[in-house]
Amino acid sequence: MRFDEPKFMPGGDQFILVQFGDDGSIDLNFLALGLTAALKEDATRGVVDTNPSYNSLVVEYDCEEISYGDLQGELERLIGGLGSVEELELESRLAYIPVMYLDPWTRDCVADYSEKITQREYDPDFVARVNGLEDAKQLARVHSGTEHWVVAVCSTPGLPLLRALDPRCAITSPKYNPPRTWTTLGAIGVGGLSTSIYTTPGPGGYNLIGRTPIPLWDPQQRHPIFKDRVVLLDAADRVKFVPIGEEEFDYIEARVADGSYEFNITAYQRFSVGAYKKWVGSLNADGRF
Amino acid sequence: MAGSIEVIKAGLETSVQDFPGRYGFWEQGFPPSGPFDMWSFRLANILVGNGPEMAGLECQFMGPTLRFSDDCVIALTGAEMNATLDGEALPQWESVAVAKGQTLACGFASVGARAYLAVSGGIDVPTVLGARATFHMAGVGGVDGHALKDGQSLSVGEGEGVSGRQVKEACRPPIANGKEWRIEVVQGPNDDWIAEEGIERFLEAAWKLQARSNRTGYRLEGPEWIFADKASAKGPEHGEHPSNILDHGYPVGSINLCGQTPIILVNDAPSAGGFINPFTVPSAAFWKLAQSKPNDIYRFKRVSVDEAQEMRRTIDRLCTEDSIA
Repeated sequence: MRFDEPKFMPGGDQFILVQFGDDGSIDLNFLALGLTAALKEDATRGVVDTNPSYNSLVVEYDCEEISYGDLQGELERLIGGLGSVEELELESRLAYIPVMYLDPWTRDCVADYSEKITQREYDPDFVARVNGLEDAKQLARVHSGTEHWVVAVCSTPGLPLLRALDPRCAITSPKYNPPRTWTTLGAIGVGGLSTSIYTTPGPGGYNLIGRTPIPLWDPQQRHPIFKDRVVLLDAADRVKFVPIGEEEFDYIEARVADGSYEFNITAYQRFSVGAYKKWVGSLNADGRF
Repeated sequence: MAGSIEVIKAGLETSVQDFPGRYGFWEQGFPPSGPFDMWSFRLANILVGNGPEMAGLECQFMGPTLRFSDDCVIALTGAEMNATLDGEALPQWESVAVAKGQTLACGFASVGARAYLAVSGGIDVPTVLGARATFHMAGVGGVDGHALKDGQSLSVGEGEGVSGRQVKEACRPPIANGKEWRIEVVQGPNDDWIAEEGIERFLEAAWKLQARSNRTGYRLEGPEWIFADKASAKGPEHGEHPSNILDHGYPVGSINLCGQTPIILVNDAPSAGGFINPFTVPSAAFWKLAQSKPNDIYRFKRVSVDEAQEMRRTIDRLCTEDSIA
């Protein structure tokens, strides 16, 4: 639920946390990202860094430039200037990301966990079941049937937190307990309200439903797309997952390896929250693809 | 003058860092990195005549052995590393002229945990996203993204050094092997998820630093936490455990409660996640974290935001030429 007034909480000597509400309503993320954009536009004095998430924003500041109280005042001023959530318009690129759903690599990863840690159902079957879908194939159809909103890029470099923009494609699921000790690089996982893409082969707790052959970041900056920026996505971008088969996966993987892969990201649209909400209101929310 | 440094032995975890580290990319998941003990680091640079921000080495627990290809000036600060220069004891907190071909050999840290080596001209590695600081969990910055390895060669930038300078005794961080540290904390941001008696228990308890601690996080062992009703009466999107919350950004220094285990998130910590942060260690107390060792005891002292900022100013004032004798 959105709070009547945003809450401000201190984090040590150099951080302030602004929270717009206490749940996963997407409006709260639009507000957090709207405020992040407004801070940049305003070039507010003393602001060192920003870190938006689901319903909140952490701002790092230099106390030699601005006091905690004055920064809170500036944030209140900027929040006031945002107007209603429907008035927000955000810069939003659209990235097409190829995915092989129900792929052999994440299947092996789930099987390895089942064997070594604790027995579990194949993740896509489990996620389909808890979401009332017919089977894993329908899960792939539903998951790829929407644009996903980049809520945040966080935790480790380039790791996106995504959620379905089309409510007919919303999927929720409990996370692993205990977590996996390793995850296939490029795995597509779903957990809680989010989808994510594993940017490192490390531990994880999301249910694995597919894999992408393309990198979401590259610290070596080998491909031209990573020349000026090390990570592919920013918060407020959108992602469209494009289902591919194994042959296509291998082809793209080879093109990524030799540097000839052409990333597909469009940058000619802005995202209007008002238009989006109007469209959502026109849908049959019970529909499923 | 410019030259190079040959890494004969890398030490346990020696990394290139600059001050304050990597900024402006937090919202893409990059932590600040940078020197853990920013007080000792800046004084090492100032001693040799560098700007306080220039790249130097952070040496953890066991320092490196390095051979210098050219004349330069060095300074070693922070933990006592029992270092020698061509076999002669090297004084710390002092700028020392090194002749071409000489070898610096650091030992184990006998007092404190992290030493800082500055070289006149600074360590010359490429800047990645605006900084030279190493974030080795992700392979970014420093030398090829990682801690130093045996046999590598480090380039040194151009810069005239000044030898024979010392940091005044009173201007150094009081690093000691007391085993019990008083660490300041600011309450928040998620203190309202902990019951009042849980807040008191945290502040009264002795917390032991676990061995599984590094530049990502410092894990603590201590009494059970007592959660507020709010931690259980919450929407399902927040997760099942009382310490779970819908993903949010983590302030650097926040005490991240993961189940019952508090983890102090430090320089290379994840930028966000799904656990609450009831307290935050302010930047001015980071040098104490950097210089403590596993099994050391922490006792926390609550301070206000204003007090934490005043502590920071005090240390900033000590990281200047005025501290040099």
